[in-house]
Amino acid sequence: MVITELYIRNFGKLSERHFYLRDGVQVISGENEYGKTTLHAFIRAMLFGLERGRGRAAAKDDFSRYEPWDDPGSYAGVMRFTCGGRSFRLERNFARQTKQVSLVCEDDGEELSVEHGDLQMLLGGMTAELFDNTVSVGQLKAAPGQELSDALANYAANYYETGGGEYDLSKALKSLDEKKRAVRRELRDEEAAGETERKKLLQKSRYLEEDIRRLDAQYKEIEKTLRELPGPERTDVHGKNRFIIGGIAAICAGVLLLLWSLWSGHESGRGLSAVSVLTALVPVLAAVAGVFLLAAGYAGKFRSHRNRSEADEQRRWELERIRSELREKEIRRENIREQYEEAEKSDSQIRLEEQCRALELAVEELQKAAQVTAGSMERSMSRRASEIFSAITDGKYRSLETDRQRGITVWDGERKIPAGRLSRGTVEQIYFCIRMAAAEILTEEPLPLILDDVFAFYDDKRLESVLKWLSGQGKQVIIFTCHSREKELLRNM
Amino acid sequence: MRFIHIADVHLGAQPDAGPLYSRQRPRELWETFEHVLHICEEEQTDLLLIAGDLFHRQPLVRELKEVDYLFSELTHTKVVLIAGNHDYISANSNYRTFQWSPNVFPLFGEKLQYADFPELRTAVYGMSYHSREIPRPLYDAVRPAGAEQYEILLAHGGDEKHIPFDRRRLEQSGFDYIALGHIHKPQIFRKDQIIYAGALEPVDKNDTGKHGYVKGGITEEGVRAQWVPCACREYIHFESAVGVEDTTGSVKKQIEKKINEYGNENIYKIVLVGKRNRDVLLDPERMKGEKNILEIIDRTSPAYDFERLYEENEDTILGRYIGRFRGCREGSVEYQALCEGVEALLGSRQ
Repeated sequence: MVITELYIRNFGKLSERHFYLRDGVQVISGENEYGKTTLHAFIRAMLFGLERGRGRAAAKDDFSRYEPWDDPGSYAGVMRFTCGGRSFRLERNFARQTKQVSLVCEDDGEELSVEHGDLQMLLGGMTAELFDNTVSVGQLKAAPGQELSDALANYAANYYETGGGEYDLSKALKSLDEKKRAVRRELRDEEAAGETERKKLLQKSRYLEEDIRRLDAQYKEIEKTLRELPGPERTDVHGKNRFIIGGIAAICAGVLLLLWSLWSGHESGRGLSAVSVLTALVPVLAAVAGVFLLAAGYAGKFRSHRNRSEADEQRRWELERIRSELREKEIRRENIREQYEEAEKSDSQIRLEEQCRALELAVEELQKAAQVTAGSMERSMSRRASEIFSAITDGKYRSLETDRQRGITVWDGERKIPAGRLSRGTVEQIYFCIRMAAAEILTEEPLPLILDDVFAFYDDKRLESVLKWLSGQGKQVIIFTCHSREKELLRNM
Repeated sequence: MRFIHIADVHLGAQPDAGPLYSRQRPRELWETFEHVLHICEEEQTDLLLIAGDLFHRQPLVRELKEVDYLFSELTHTKVVLIAGNHDYISANSNYRTFQWSPNVFPLFGEKLQYADFPELRTAVYGMSYHSREIPRPLYDAVRPAGAEQYEILLAHGGDEKHIPFDRRRLEQSGFDYIALGHIHKPQIFRKDQIIYAGALEPVDKNDTGKHGYVKGGITEEGVRAQWVPCACREYIHFESAVGVEDTTGSVKKQIEKKINEYGNENIYKIVLVGKRNRDVLLDPERMKGEKNILEIIDRTSPAYDFERLYEENEDTILGRYIGRFRGCREGSVEYQALCEGVEALLGSRQ
């Protein structure tokens, strides 16, 4: 594919501008603020369209950055290019209201459909992301505080592991890890909630146990009293017994006296005299008194007996009550224990655990996929990148190697030199070589290479080698620069 | 002879009935039970058969008193009950000592026994659990003794750990009617003969569907039994389809509409299925609103066309990653991992 003409109606700071391009290496030079980056963005927008970001992201996306302020309707342009021996005219309007795109083959006037993927087919399946990571080359950027060689090593490793640098492996892994941590946190909360429930049950069970202990002690106490019971009552019983013994003694004495008086009266042969009547009356009285005593004694005994059995009854009844209460509490405790044991993981807990497993699996598989990708990428790309590196350094370095742990090393035929010890220019050149190798390997259709201020740190000698190498590639190369030396070097070539 | 057959009343249970009804749910179990007793009284039903698990756990004396009072109020109905695996007769179970009203006939023996009702020409057979589990197929060899013209078996169990039984053997056992309990879902094993009444009220979040009791009668012509719904609530699980256009708000509205249709007295568990827009983050908590929802489970996956993504990215990590999950079932942990990984990769695009 070769871009032949760019017409910008209105795009960022450029308006009503025509650029005519040809095959091979060419330089578009201009001072800062000339609009080189805008032109670069325009080419990208023509090839892949300008998607408007959503929400906050929209404020700083390309669409807003290049949208003309005064006449948004003219946010549009045309690109003409040749591809597979035919010429095409691609026209786009980026404006919000009048968004439109058309693709026409200029040889036969056939209308093609961008919506149906005709343009993508001409581009050989290239996506905007792949474009950014292969043929469209800017300066290597390092994060603030990061060594450029480290940035390059990360870049290269990611490039291999993801198969073209469209994706950022460590960023993806990090986001998975963050998500996993969030899920774990949620899981912990869920578990804590379940734990409180269980603690409540334990607490209840403990209260019941206390009750049971207390009731048990009460029960034993009463039981003991019942066993040792008749202590204080015995004296009382003795008193009653004295009555009875006295009564029995009096009756016996009365009867004996009566018998004696009857016998003695009979013996003397005298008839019933006043004396004998008197002597007979005394024992009768004594016997009667004895009977009274006896009756009183028994009555008292009976009464105390009844009192005692009433108290016993009450105690026994109390014992029974405690026993049933005990049993009730034991059953309740047992029921709570059952409930405690039944308490199982909640559904959401199970689901969160599952999600955790899924995230772990994703990390595992992503790493494996990265390994496989890197394995096949590195073989082909590393070799090609080494070849290019060797060519542009005029054979000073033979090869370069990339490794996640050890970073990038170059081989000068004698020693392996870590990239950290190389000059900024050389590090940039390694980056350039990897990009060029990727552009060759990852793109089906040879697309124009766009080099945006790539050579700032190259010395003249290296620059010349690079330009020479580029000229030999048979591709359209568009170099944006703010220097004039590229132009001069090319002119002299 | 007319009877009502209930089972698995689970008095004393505290089922999770959603944010609105969980508090009052234990009381509702009693109320529905009382409702059935009212029906017995009103219709002068001859027998009330309770096929086990009247109580959720070991009954307390006060609970038994409560139940027995309700039984004693029945002027005509006689009650026959057995103990199930939940209220099994433990060593110090109150079932062992409780004095029931004269119209209550517990069959609490470990071995088959029967209650004889000559006036109804009916004998009701049954045995009770004396342990939480009985893995032996005790019912397989059970036969009626021929005590009366009509013979009924009260049985509890039917799964591996709770007296497993062979359905055909029961069919040929010679009982006119077999009143089953234990499985909470009402099921008719054989029309007019072998029936699970199901739990009277659903007591677990998985007891979906309608619940009630069996009303039947035995005459010279045979048995007629009919299942009657009476539970005051129902657990309803449904799937809510999510499309790429949906957001939390739109799904919430969709759920609300469905619940209004199915009834606000019910208890819901909702599974979100389908493909959601990649950029939409669904928040199930916010979808619950004021509705009685136990749980909303998000099983949606982001709307990726994995086939296309694979074909377009075969050589990159994305394609290779997708390739590693070839043939995994949608909804599995692997599928979840696939979605998560692809989301992370696409999100990492530079």
